[in-house]
Amino acid sequence: MESMLAAMNKKIVPLQEYFLQGSVLDASRDILLHRLRGICDNIGGIEKFQDHEMVYTIGTNANNVLQLRARRALDDPEAPWLLRYVGEPDFGDRSKHTLVRSSIDVGTSDNLVQFLTEMGFRLDHEFVVSGHFFRKGRMKITVSKIYRLLQPGDTDKVEALSKSYLVELGVVTVSGQDQVQEEMKNFAEHLKPLVHLEKTDLRKLQQMGT
Amino acid sequence: MQRDEKQLDNSLEATIQRVQDLKGSLSALLVKLETEYTLNWPSVLDSFALLSGQISSLNKLLKHEKTPLLRNYVLLPLLLSPDRDADLEKLTEGRVLAFNHEVVPDYLRTKPEPDVEERQQHISKQASNMTVENAQKQMNAVNRISTQLLDMITSFRDEWELAQKTSQQQTSSIADTNTLLAAVNFGKGLKSGSENVHSSQSQPSPAEHAQPGRQASSSMKAPSSIKTNIKSASSLHPYQR
Repeated sequence: MESMLAAMNKKIVPLQEYFLQGSVLDASRDILLHRLRGICDNIGGIEKFQDHEMVYTIGTNANNVLQLRARRALDDPEAPWLLRYVGEPDFGDRSKHTLVRSSIDVGTSDNLVQFLTEMGFRLDHEFVVSGHFFRKGRMKITVSKIYRLLQPGDTDKVEALSKSYLVELGVVTVSGQDQVQEEMKNFAEHLKPLVHLEKTDLRKLQQMGT
Repeated sequence: MQRDEKQLDNSLEATIQRVQDLKGSLSALLVKLETEYTLNWPSVLDSFALLSGQISSLNKLLKHEKTPLLRNYVLLPLLLSPDRDADLEKLTEGRVLAFNHEVVPDYLRTKPEPDVEERQQHISKQASNMTVENAQKQMNAVNRISTQLLDMITSFRDEWELAQKTSQQQTSSIADTNTLLAAVNFGKGLKSGSENVHSSQSQPSPAEHAQPGRQASSSMKAPSSIKTNIKSASSLHPYQR
């Protein structure tokens, strides 16, 4: 109730993203796409996307950094830019089937980068992500390849980061919708053993990276 | 006596029911084999599983203690007639038209057919003519061959299962998942090389020393790989905290 009031006052609904992640090797991607096409809600064939994501940060030290993600569609210049904030993922306990993080998405105009830079944000890293996405009820499934930019800002010269496709299953909804986790777990079961969608503890990965 | 008869009736009825089920699934399988052009293996397997289940339940029924031993009963044909019998035709679904001298010996026989019987006799004669040593030798040979076959099958099955397991693992790789997630979430491997080995480790930012309290409060979070880039920003932007 409190959060509802806060949401009404600030006109921002606190959204939670429930998500699971995994990957599939290049060779098995087509099998996965076939399977997804079979079990997802079809809307006139497979939908593709190709985005350029830039991650901007502001903050004075490593433990106190605000990170924002700016994204634009490379395959559709007309589409609005997307500004995205994601919070720290909550790993939860064993009874929880998915990771949860707060998430705010805003559509913006194309001078977003200028706006962020003038506010003091600095570009931390950027990448190109391209792949396919599917829908099943309120769940979103993406199968995408991550590319590294060889020249900063040049999205034409890219290099694949690994020999696998990133597979993400996510639901963005208002907080407290824990029953969606069950739905997602069941869906993830359908993709086994092709892809193992799991709760990956990102903090461990981060420690490994440093 | 009456109780025995009742039991016989009941068990016969149950047996007939089971046999009819079996017949139904057999004909369903035949229809499937003849009419479906895109017959797939799982559906044939389904049919076979059904058949084997029905056969085993029929066997169970026959071995059941309440079922009287059918071989102890004598069936005596009292009347043979060359005329067409409509009831019989209906009962056998048109396979037996009349209860006559031609078909009765075939349907009521309890021994194998004559030519089978002849071959069986021939074989047993051959067997009795053989010397004991020779027989022993042949038995050993057969035993050896079947053991070898069994071994081959078991080892092949092990290999096959192993191969299946490894081929399943090859569709995804945990290492790649971690690489991708670290890249998407923390930019690992996406920042250009020169910035990555930045001076922030050799020269800690003054802000870190100035705010021990803040640092302690957030020390739960792992140090981010992002810190490499913040250094350059910290001296420039106006919102120092």
